[in-house]
Amino acid sequence: MTKDSSDLIKYSTQGLYCEIADIWIDPHKPVKKALITHAHMDHFTFGCDEYISTYETSKILKERVGNAINIKTYDYGKEFKINGINISFHPSGHILGSSQIKFNFGGETWLITGDFKRQKDYTCKEYEKVKTDYLISESTFGLPIFKWEEAQKTAGDISKWVDSSPDKTSILFCYSLGKAQRLLNEISKSNFKNNIYTHNSINNMNNCYKKLGINIVNTEKFDKTQNLDKFKGSLILLPPALHKGSYLKKFKNIQTGFASGWMAIRALRKRSGYDKGFVISDHADWEAILNTVKESEAKNVFFHHGDSDALSRYLNEKSSINVLNFESRK
Amino acid sequence: MSLKNFSELFINLDSSSSTNKKLEILKNYFSINNNLENSWSIYLLTGKKNKRFISGRSIKSFFSDIYEFPLWLIDTCYLRVGDSAEVITLLLNSKNIGKTEVMKDISLDELLNKVLPELAVLKEEEKKLRIKEIWEELPKENLLIFNKILTGTFRVGVSIGLITKSISQLVNLDESIISHRLMGDFEPSAQAYKFLVNKKIDLEELSYKPYPFLLATTFEKKISEESINNFQYEWKWDGIRIQLIKRLGKVSIWTRGEDLVNRSFPELVENTLFIKDDFVIDGELLVWNFKDELPMNFSFLQKRINRKAPSKLIQNNLPIIFIAYDLLELKGEDKRQLNLRNRRINLEKNFHKWISESEKDISKIFKISNLLFPKNWEDAENLKNKSRENGTEGLVIKNKNSIYASGRKKGIWWKYKVDPMQLDAVLIYAKGGSGKRAGLYTDYSFALWKDGQLIKFASAYSGLNNAEIKELDKWIRKNTIEKFGPVRSVKPEMVFEISFENIQVSNRHKAGISVRFPRISKWRKDKHIKDADTLENAKKLMISKS
Repeated sequence: MTKDSSDLIKYSTQGLYCEIADIWIDPHKPVKKALITHAHMDHFTFGCDEYISTYETSKILKERVGNAINIKTYDYGKEFKINGINISFHPSGHILGSSQIKFNFGGETWLITGDFKRQKDYTCKEYEKVKTDYLISESTFGLPIFKWEEAQKTAGDISKWVDSSPDKTSILFCYSLGKAQRLLNEISKSNFKNNIYTHNSINNMNNCYKKLGINIVNTEKFDKTQNLDKFKGSLILLPPALHKGSYLKKFKNIQTGFASGWMAIRALRKRSGYDKGFVISDHADWEAILNTVKESEAKNVFFHHGDSDALSRYLNEKSSINVLNFESRK
Repeated sequence: MSLKNFSELFINLDSSSSTNKKLEILKNYFSINNNLENSWSIYLLTGKKNKRFISGRSIKSFFSDIYEFPLWLIDTCYLRVGDSAEVITLLLNSKNIGKTEVMKDISLDELLNKVLPELAVLKEEEKKLRIKEIWEELPKENLLIFNKILTGTFRVGVSIGLITKSISQLVNLDESIISHRLMGDFEPSAQAYKFLVNKKIDLEELSYKPYPFLLATTFEKKISEESINNFQYEWKWDGIRIQLIKRLGKVSIWTRGEDLVNRSFPELVENTLFIKDDFVIDGELLVWNFKDELPMNFSFLQKRINRKAPSKLIQNNLPIIFIAYDLLELKGEDKRQLNLRNRRINLEKNFHKWISESEKDISKIFKISNLLFPKNWEDAENLKNKSRENGTEGLVIKNKNSIYASGRKKGIWWKYKVDPMQLDAVLIYAKGGSGKRAGLYTDYSFALWKDGQLIKFASAYSGLNNAEIKELDKWIRKNTIEKFGPVRSVKPEMVFEISFENIQVSNRHKAGISVRFPRISKWRKDKHIKDADTLENAKKLMISKS
């Protein structure tokens, strides 16, 4: 049994776990109680007895997996108690409803950032700076080669890309939840004049966002049974899963693009088979991670996901922050 | 007309997968830029001899010094990106660059003819400052191209063939003329581009240039539906393909990689001068073992190529021969449009005449390719299977009615290669790939058993498909024993069938042998490491060969 707060939260390949509260964070296996940071499916597992999330996350989750799940919701900033531990959600700026989770136990705090970003995103609440003693930060893009441009600049590039090929159908692949809505928002603010069509899965998420009070530009549903000539010169947003396979076979004259932070690396772009990569991410880049660590004033930091080795070594060399490794603590 | 335009060209080419689109992009580019810039663009695009002004290592350490940035972190990033110029460009994104943009209109000519050559001769410290200055003076969008040109690593997915086609369509000239003009060295100048697109065809201008080589494609089963007599059969030698040119009394030896190698083979130049006529002959250069009448191993030929102005001793110890395949030009007349039957008759007639007429005995160095006469396709297959016995790697089968075309064209020449040698070996090391394979472990080292130990015997990069590469990458990460920089040693658990063309004794390798063109032919998931081959087995392959 945990005595003090120094190992309040533990890591396993199945997710993060708080023993005292007997609660998991984004578990990969069915458990009794699960805190869900946001509604991307790689953070959700079926079969848990009880889920706890923000209201927005619960709404999006239900839209995606149905109403049968037992999910309890708390507003951002509202503390709730489980086995003597105060827990609260705070905006993480990743997508609508996404949150950091703060644990307060015996006067010491742990903060799990969840997936987060520090860039402006008009479709969700901005990242909230939270001070903490222990920080568990994601590090998906934890290398200095990742440096995001303004989203408006990327939207402009997409707009130019579509304009430059009026005789082609431009197909942009992006995640249905979060990325698509952010792109639509940014594109509608750029000088984009052409038609935009969206895949059903993106449409559903758009509607969900709209119901939750987010302004998303109206798009037409993409129906591939229609005469495909109709789509010439316009932009179609599709989820990445449709890139490979037979979905696009009917199309003759297309150009494809993928909107993701990974597109910063040419080798990945070339390997992935998209014509064009647009660099835009809902995760923090290198500098944003470093700033977040600094602003949190945490004395002890853990990283998970991505290139944690480089970040750890860098911080250990350049700062007095104690970067710990989940693996070696086991 | 600038680095800026060229940078846009690169982005456009890089982001289109269709050949037609690329063709249009190139045509448009060549039509709006001036001769000098086009000339430099061709120089960069064909990438024959792109000069390296500083090394990949230097650009990283300069960046590290200038921005007080840890070198290990740059190296870590490199493992992800696989290209030094790109890593530095990405890292520059968060630095204060592109401040003044005073160099935003710099031409390729100024960059490659002045700025970079001047930079290259500076002392290290000044070089560093100058590079920093340039990074600050160039617009951000042009940095990738600049860094690639600086490190001599500029490459983009267009072939010489496509460039040839675009120019040929643009100026309405036959492709074969453009491709001939592009052979050999291409010294960028306004004049060079003018010459390239000149409507008047002047044979003398091309006098030092080789013809585009005709390349064989892989044998297809369906050829054996045709009569055996439609084809000419020769051994496929493992030497270097060359064009031996004698025009206006001057000799040039061009490799298929378009290198002029006169200096490596002075005895061939000398002997060629004893032939009275001018000609262009396509053939093979080999280092020859006169005692056994067999070619010596390829590594000896490599030695000869690398040695400029070899001594008489080397010429004696590593004697060369030239095997003539085909006569492309005789007394200034292009013979490539004749069919192979007639070209062969011409070759034989003239070859024997030259040998007998020569004042000096040149028959030791000049050979003519022997024709083989299989009676049927089964016979041809048997010949192929026996090719190792005389030090060849299979047959070349040539359509008797074909002209001498340019490049790798189907239906003209085929290579019918002997099956490779194979051994089952154990994966022991893996290294991160570069370029397209950055961020994946794709360079593998394999070992064979010797006295209960695994001894490394070969490295291979190719042979797995993308799904297998991904799967193996995952496995490697999970089964790493130790990391040494970019290299990981892994648990000896995975067995692969390794194919290779040849095997020889080598003192430089721990295993005491080295193999030629090793590649993975099968992932033997069905095999346990104890079933892998031994070094003894490998050595037996060597004995059975001779």
